[in-house]
Amino acid sequence: MAELWNTIILEPVLNSLIALTTMLGGSFGLSIIVLTVVVRLALFPLTVRQTQSTKAMQTLQPRIQELQKKYGKNQQKLQQEMMKLYKEAGINPLGCLWPMLIQLPIWIALYPSIMQALAATPENLLDLSQHLYSWAAVGNAVPLNEQFLWLRLSRPDPNLILAILVGGTMWVQQKMITPPPTDPRQQSMTSMTTMMMPLMFGFFTLSFPSGLALYWVISNVIGIVIQYFVSGGWGYLRAPSAAKPAPAQAPGQKPVPAQKISPIEKQSKIAQKATEESKTIKKASDEKRRGLFGR
Amino acid sequence: MRKLSLILFVIVLSMLGLSCTGPTWQGWSGFASYEGNLYFGTMDGRVLAINMSARSQGLSFPSEEEWLLTVKRPAPAGGMCGPMGCVPAAQPATIYATPAITDNIVYIATYAGDSGKVMAINRLTPGYDAEGIPAWNEGEWFYPRSENKYIGSVVGGPIVVEDTLYVGSSDGKLYALDEKGDERWAPFDTGGKIWTSPAVGDGVVYVSNYGGKLFAVSSTDGSLIWEIELPASIASSPVISGDIIYFGTFDRNLYAIAVTDGSERWKFEGGNWFWATPMVKDGVVYAGCFDHQVYALNAITGEKLWHFVADAPIVAPPMLSGDFLVATSESGEMYILEPDTGNLVRSISIGYQVMAPLYAEENMVYVHARNRCVYAVDVQSGDNVWEFCYSDIE
Repeated sequence: MAELWNTIILEPVLNSLIALTTMLGGSFGLSIIVLTVVVRLALFPLTVRQTQSTKAMQTLQPRIQELQKKYGKNQQKLQQEMMKLYKEAGINPLGCLWPMLIQLPIWIALYPSIMQALAATPENLLDLSQHLYSWAAVGNAVPLNEQFLWLRLSRPDPNLILAILVGGTMWVQQKMITPPPTDPRQQSMTSMTTMMMPLMFGFFTLSFPSGLALYWVISNVIGIVIQYFVSGGWGYLRAPSAAKPAPAQAPGQKPVPAQKISPIEKQSKIAQKATEESKTIKKASDEKRRGLFGR
Repeated sequence: MRKLSLILFVIVLSMLGLSCTGPTWQGWSGFASYEGNLYFGTMDGRVLAINMSARSQGLSFPSEEEWLLTVKRPAPAGGMCGPMGCVPAAQPATIYATPAITDNIVYIATYAGDSGKVMAINRLTPGYDAEGIPAWNEGEWFYPRSENKYIGSVVGGPIVVEDTLYVGSSDGKLYALDEKGDERWAPFDTGGKIWTSPAVGDGVVYVSNYGGKLFAVSSTDGSLIWEIELPASIASSPVISGDIIYFGTFDRNLYAIAVTDGSERWKFEGGNWFWATPMVKDGVVYAGCFDHQVYALNAITGEKLWHFVADAPIVAPPMLSGDFLVATSESGEMYILEPDTGNLVRSISIGYQVMAPLYAEENMVYVHARNRCVYAVDVQSGDNVWEFCYSDIE
């Protein structure tokens, strides 16, 4: 299993990094940046699909709010109806996490690759010798320069700069794609998801090699740029964080009596509503189907 | 929502798994020997003195002249704590450097991430207290002298020549210390981390660094005499024989360099990195290579006399024991060879990885393996005479 991992993931990442360093005039930091760009380019179709899903979800918001009103007291039913709605529109609400999940093996391989390539410890250097290809660009590349800007890439950034950059860019990216919760009860969960990951990754940055954190920052920035251009703006970053509840009735204010509706008018309103619903779902589906360059 | 939680859980767990893999340095100290005792650094940051006779009799540890000393961890400055622990965490200390020894003092150099210290320990009764402070009045000291000051971590062993201790460190500096731990001269900065032992001959200290440079420095005042730069890193310590310095590099070559001016006498190309320090005896250079081979070369011409193919890369330097050449592969296979022909006399399986330099005395070879055990092997018979595992010792 370990050998399979080394052959399929670790060695390609490690040797690519070293070969890129040789090609980029010996800068290991630049080679991490280029590798990040390549990985994000490979994931581009998935990222675009996820971004379109997010935008499609935005168009479903009025419909979700209606479901909220209708099934507010029955959470299970509400969840079922929302999932049904997402399914009809062809949206995966967890899609935003897939690009992150798919990059996980790269992160895990990048950690030993950085430590080995930069000979962080004598054991790392011994391991490096076992994983090098016989490429000319790799064979005589050692020693590599671990200095990049103010960073020693095999060591954590002693300042908070990189931790803030990682946490900040991750928060912006999450915020752009996370729709504000329609149910105030979901608000804490959504806020936790939006805040927890950036905070945790910011904290990880303090103990991980700064080369890995550099990957995270660049990857997040690329994600933000893709998100910006695909969804045509800052998305939910500018939207209010949660749907506001209806304003409370002022003390002493008389309740407005409900208008009486005739049975024919009622029939016509139901038909109109059904047409609007179907239009919303269709719009959401179209939004999702439309490609980045097809708008 | 359950799926979301599961995905987040997988991501966080993976990151925690990455961060909790622990330090990747464990050390591989070789042995210094004096009056029937072996002194070495353990893989868990301790210095151990074991008596060969007591170990062969299977006496309980510690018997007479045996002791154990724990190296103090460097305290991190400005640590920051959170739910996953403290950042930067206290760096565990370990020992790669083979100790040096004089009559009463064992010299140890430590490795703890970016921090290292040189320690002089009274070999009869170590006087270091629980706080890691040496018994200064018994000849013990540490360098740097301040408790919370460190040099770069040390990988290559210190050497003692004519009352001066020479040691290179990961901060790129070569240090020369007197018998009290004071600097003989200002540290010589090579500009790249030093992971090798220096060599001294005729008033000149030769030291190589990871940046691929070899320096000749005056042992009198630390001034530079000459320097050369090679195409790749150097992890093999220089060895002087006659007027030639021998060492291997990561450009797959073993070099023979003139001591006088650093000019190249010859170089021999192997199939991979030369990591192990070569050994020179009777006009023959014996060198282990990462291409799994042990080479015997004519020391004057560089001509290959023979080669032997092992099962794995050779990390530990080859060694002569009695009439035999002993080479151990990284996988823990020990090969007893005829030094003239390279013919295999026998092989002995240690069963665990071996990176530490071997120590040979008469017909016995002592091996510090990665399972935290010391093995005493009789090369004549091939018997494992005794073994001593230290991980259970409190």
